[in-house]
Amino acid sequence: MSGERPGAGAGAGADGGAAPVVSAGAGADRGADAATGAGVVPYRSNFADGTPGFGGLLRAEWTKFRSVPRWVLTLLAAVVLTVLIALITANGSERAVAGGGEDPADSGASADFRIRDGGHFLYQPLPGDGELVARVTELTGTQDWAKAGLMIRAGDEAGGTYAALVATPGHGVRLQTGFTQVAGERAEAAVPRWLRLTREGRTVTGYESADGENWSRVGSVDLTGLPATAQAGLFVASPDEVHVDRQFGGESISQEPTEAEATFDGVTLRPESGAAAGEWQDRARSLAAGGSATRLGPDAFTLRGAGDIGLDPGFADDSARNLLEGALAGLVAVVALAVLFLGSEYRRGMIRLTFAATPGRGRVLAAKATVLGAVAGAAGAVAAAAAVLLAGPMLDGAGRVSLTEGPVLRAVLGTGLLLGLVAVLALGVTALVRHSAAAIALVLLPLLVPRLLAGGLPLNAAEWLQRLTPAAGFAIQQTVRRYDTAIGPWAGLAVLAGYTAVVLAAAYARMRRRDA
Amino acid sequence: MRRALRAEWTKLWTVPSTGWLLPAVVLLTVGAGAAAMAAVDVSQCPSPAECFEDTTRLSLDGVRLGQAAVAVLAVLVITGEYGTGLMGLTLAAFPRRVPVLLAKAGVLAAAVAVAGTVAVLGSLAAGRGILPAGGFTAANGYPGLSLADGPTLRAAVGTVLYLVLVALLALGVGAVVRDTAAALTLVLSLLYLAPVLASLMGDQRWRERIEEFSPMPAGLAIQSTRGLDRLPIAPWPGLGVLLAYSAAALLLGTLLLARRDA
Repeated sequence: MSGERPGAGAGAGADGGAAPVVSAGAGADRGADAATGAGVVPYRSNFADGTPGFGGLLRAEWTKFRSVPRWVLTLLAAVVLTVLIALITANGSERAVAGGGEDPADSGASADFRIRDGGHFLYQPLPGDGELVARVTELTGTQDWAKAGLMIRAGDEAGGTYAALVATPGHGVRLQTGFTQVAGERAEAAVPRWLRLTREGRTVTGYESADGENWSRVGSVDLTGLPATAQAGLFVASPDEVHVDRQFGGESISQEPTEAEATFDGVTLRPESGAAAGEWQDRARSLAAGGSATRLGPDAFTLRGAGDIGLDPGFADDSARNLLEGALAGLVAVVALAVLFLGSEYRRGMIRLTFAATPGRGRVLAAKATVLGAVAGAAGAVAAAAAVLLAGPMLDGAGRVSLTEGPVLRAVLGTGLLLGLVAVLALGVTALVRHSAAAIALVLLPLLVPRLLAGGLPLNAAEWLQRLTPAAGFAIQQTVRRYDTAIGPWAGLAVLAGYTAVVLAAAYARMRRRDA
Repeated sequence: MRRALRAEWTKLWTVPSTGWLLPAVVLLTVGAGAAAMAAVDVSQCPSPAECFEDTTRLSLDGVRLGQAAVAVLAVLVITGEYGTGLMGLTLAAFPRRVPVLLAKAGVLAAAVAVAGTVAVLGSLAAGRGILPAGGFTAANGYPGLSLADGPTLRAAVGTVLYLVLVALLALGVGAVVRDTAAALTLVLSLLYLAPVLASLMGDQRWRERIEEFSPMPAGLAIQSTRGLDRLPIAPWPGLGVLLAYSAAALLLGTLLLARRDA
């Protein structure tokens, strides 16, 4: 190597020194042309076509990114910080759950916020298969979603497996199970109404009828984990009433328990085995919350119950989302990185070299966006997954989150998408304004400020703020639909993607027209 | 010192970004405040008197957005010089480094104070126009905003001081970090991330502790005119917390500037 270079240099020098890296042969040609002035032979480089393929471009941008130790460290620090905040959050929320459990208003619910297992249940054991029939003659409650009907469940404890066939004042007859599913509904049916619930093995099927003779099927559910002897009986529930008031410059939300009262007659429990009927008993945990049952006759009862069964949609604590909020710290770091990734090239003049190597502005921008989006997205997904894996088990009961749940997985991968999109957005803004301070302020403020202002604004205005600004992208982290949910997860991410696409297109147009 | 002040004054006024950023402080503050006020009316409360709305604080809410322009301006005052290499020239002209930073701080504070005063007066004037339309009238227990009212005067003066302190905090961070992107990211995170993280804390005590000791929530306590006993930190001590942050950042910046190679 050291032997070749002086030779090449000497050759170029002898030909006039115009092009130091030209081979001796080409230099000689040019010298001859200049001397004779005859037909000009255009210069052709001996190197292969200088424009690298898109793959080579990606590799160049990746090298630029990874070879700055400060940037790589910042990215790692962002991941660590995200996980750390998740751990702190998980620690804090544990205490809050423990405190909430002592609240008497919550005694109808399980110890966590996500599910409600209230209402009153009057039951007796159902050995093996069988059917339960009753007529709801009257249902009084202030809520549309008050429920009166039949239930088969594994046992008395909170959060157990169940299937309930219920009539409601406003939403017909429905068969519901678990804490998230509705197995079937017949919206037109109204009280008084005959209801029939049958068990065959693991399958529980619900029927309803106006006269007790012509039955129509509502739906059926497959209950795994239902013991051989299940508990079957009558059930009344009434969801809490929610008030949203504006006070002290913020929203105050209060929940008041409501009661429903229902009268049943024609109550018959027919085990297939023909076993004798047992004693009716009240569910102990709902007696404490004000539930009661009165026997009116041999097969007629009146039940009063408070609290609801099912997922608590309004106030469910979105514990997965809380764990992932630490990604905000990662987001800030990613914005700074994205701005520096392009901004420092402009400041140091490196961009001219980049454009000299690849004159296509669009290709450079696309390569930068791809590398940056992929790096930020990977960091975001890794940080989110680590946060859920490490901090998830620290949460209590059903608030515990695991990666195998669909919505949680969506939130974790979505956090990666969110960070990737924000990085590309920041890149586009930097290409537009070419000023790092302006770019950082223009990207960070629309992401952070809506969340701050939202606290002091009425729900309605706050929701619009979270729908229209790029901050809508944070919706991808939600796993539970709450009373204050402004926009669906994918729709929210689409809003952010829209902003990113518009900014990137404008950046491309600007880059093409403007001198570097 | 007078020459240093004069030099900094010239530098600040001849940079085009200043001409953008100072009006931006006023526009963002008044605009965001007006939008916040327009979004609120008494019909959202159980009864008009039961809103317990702190109308002064609400009208000055736009400062949360306006302070971002202040932070950008203050960071650029110092990192802009490092970025272009002007700092070497400045220090060649004024070899004593402490007065250079003090002069920058003085000029910046004066400029931000003027812009902040205009922004605060504009916000209060907007409040006088917008709030009664939302039902926040004297008849409902919300007297019109007036600087003759003690707590409102405190909130108005305090908000201007808040903006000045934010500027000094950003200047100090800029002197420590010397890079525009890094300094601005740090300042904006310090201001905006802390309250968001506070809202994540399930534990009320931790939430209040964070709000008590982070610059923005503590500093903005100065805007409160009613329900003072419900605040995590009282108005003046809250501004004191921000002052401590600004003083610490400036002190560290001065020390580093004096000892480090530029």
